[in-house]
Amino acid sequence: MTLPEHVARNRAAWDGWATDYVEAGERAWAQDEPTWGIWGIPEAEVGMLPPDLAGKDTIELGCGTAYISAWLARRGARPVGIDNSEAQLGTARRLQAEHGLEFALLHGNAEEVPLPDESFDLAISEYGASIWADPYRWLPEAARLLRPGGELVFLVNGTILMLCVPDEEGIAAGDRLLRPYFGMHRFEWPDDESVEFHLPYGEWIRLFRRNGLEVEDLIELRPGEGATTGYPFVTSEWARRWPSEEIWRARKQLDG
Amino acid sequence: MAISEQALRNRERWDALADGYQQQHGPQLTVDELVWGQWSIPDAEVGVLGDVAGRTVLELGCGGAQWSVALAKRGACVIGLDNSARQLQHARELVATAGVEVQLVHASAESVPLPDGSFDIVLSDHGALSWGEPGRVVPEIARLLRRGGLLAFNVTSPLVRMCWNDENDSLDTALHRSYFDVYRTEEGEGAATFALRHGEWIRLLRDSAFEVEGLVELRPRTEASTTYGDFVPLDWARRWPAEDLWKARRR
Repeated sequence: MTLPEHVARNRAAWDGWATDYVEAGERAWAQDEPTWGIWGIPEAEVGMLPPDLAGKDTIELGCGTAYISAWLARRGARPVGIDNSEAQLGTARRLQAEHGLEFALLHGNAEEVPLPDESFDLAISEYGASIWADPYRWLPEAARLLRPGGELVFLVNGTILMLCVPDEEGIAAGDRLLRPYFGMHRFEWPDDESVEFHLPYGEWIRLFRRNGLEVEDLIELRPGEGATTGYPFVTSEWARRWPSEEIWRARKQLDG
Repeated sequence: MAISEQALRNRERWDALADGYQQQHGPQLTVDELVWGQWSIPDAEVGVLGDVAGRTVLELGCGGAQWSVALAKRGACVIGLDNSARQLQHARELVATAGVEVQLVHASAESVPLPDGSFDIVLSDHGALSWGEPGRVVPEIARLLRRGGLLAFNVTSPLVRMCWNDENDSLDTALHRSYFDVYRTEEGEGAATFALRHGEWIRLLRDSAFEVEGLVELRPRTEASTTYGDFVPLDWARRWPAEDLWKARRR
């Protein structure tokens, strides 16, 4: 099967980056309390996870080292993780063995998941398919996989951040709008082969509705003063003033 | 009816601004089509209201009632509400000239002297959702709408609030103001407009028994013209959203 061009490029990119994410994966797996995003904001402050996960079927779209699925499993959920990078899944499998937590891990593209309709209560993604897959393909697929009443929760880079972050790697976003908002969708960078996807607010809402999802929340994350991150593309001063990360919550309508 | 201190300041401000405003913008606003915002973007293009014939409609912050008159001409049963008596003076003249039936109400949208569940549609185009406090106005709209009724409102985008340069009183491409601080903008003489972040709109609407049906970020055509050009230049509005048109359904 031939992969779509952006999927093949991101697979190669993530197979290459996987070793850089081993340590973060190990740390996250060892955590009891989930933390979110590049500022590590605690779940107690964010409320990204549904309150009762016991017995819930969950799928993590673009799971990487599958640390979210590990947190979900410890809360009684039955997780499945899918990722585009075999190298990332290698780390995930090793951590499963080390922590004695078993759940299914699939190597594949979140835009085309080989699982039946309406088989999950929660679909979740943190900087996974939510930015590395095409929303016009992965979001309908997530809606298909959810049971009526099931939840979709995902974290992405802030919309305004994506207008302000320079093309060159390693330079933090400034206070200038560097690119237009209208038409934002596919992002490519001069320094690597990866392809990212970011949509305008209104376009996300249209996409939810078109796929039978109700918009439930948009959490615009703001780190505490003095928060730190290892990522070079944004400073905490910037993120204190404008949202560097956003979490969307949507629910599949009961009447389909 | 009791009116908040802020609503009183905004009322005084609009009583003072009304004549000049209607002189400058009245002609652009007076069209037979249903059009949204500074660039007069047809509703047909954004598909928010659809057919209004036979619908009971409340316009909140109707100003000179240009929207209300256009709705009445299309067969809607319309009430226009405004906080400013002077604006309603202009509205009465337009209604009379147009020869349509539009009931005009002088009140703040924060407390509307009309019964529960009496409207199919509540709309506001840079009206009460900008000049009233959304946290007070949205629950009031929820009360006024029938179940299944539609709320459509157009407001200045948070991005415009952020990119407004106070030093030269114009819009540019730098973020001057924090997104976490867009709530209140001074409009002179104690008057103020209000803005919410995207997430805050979604939460307020949902907490007030609405489902969020859409957000249309209005984009003018390349050849668009406006009498509000000193606010948002066309080339800016072609690249970034200046106006957010929200659509929500009463549960």
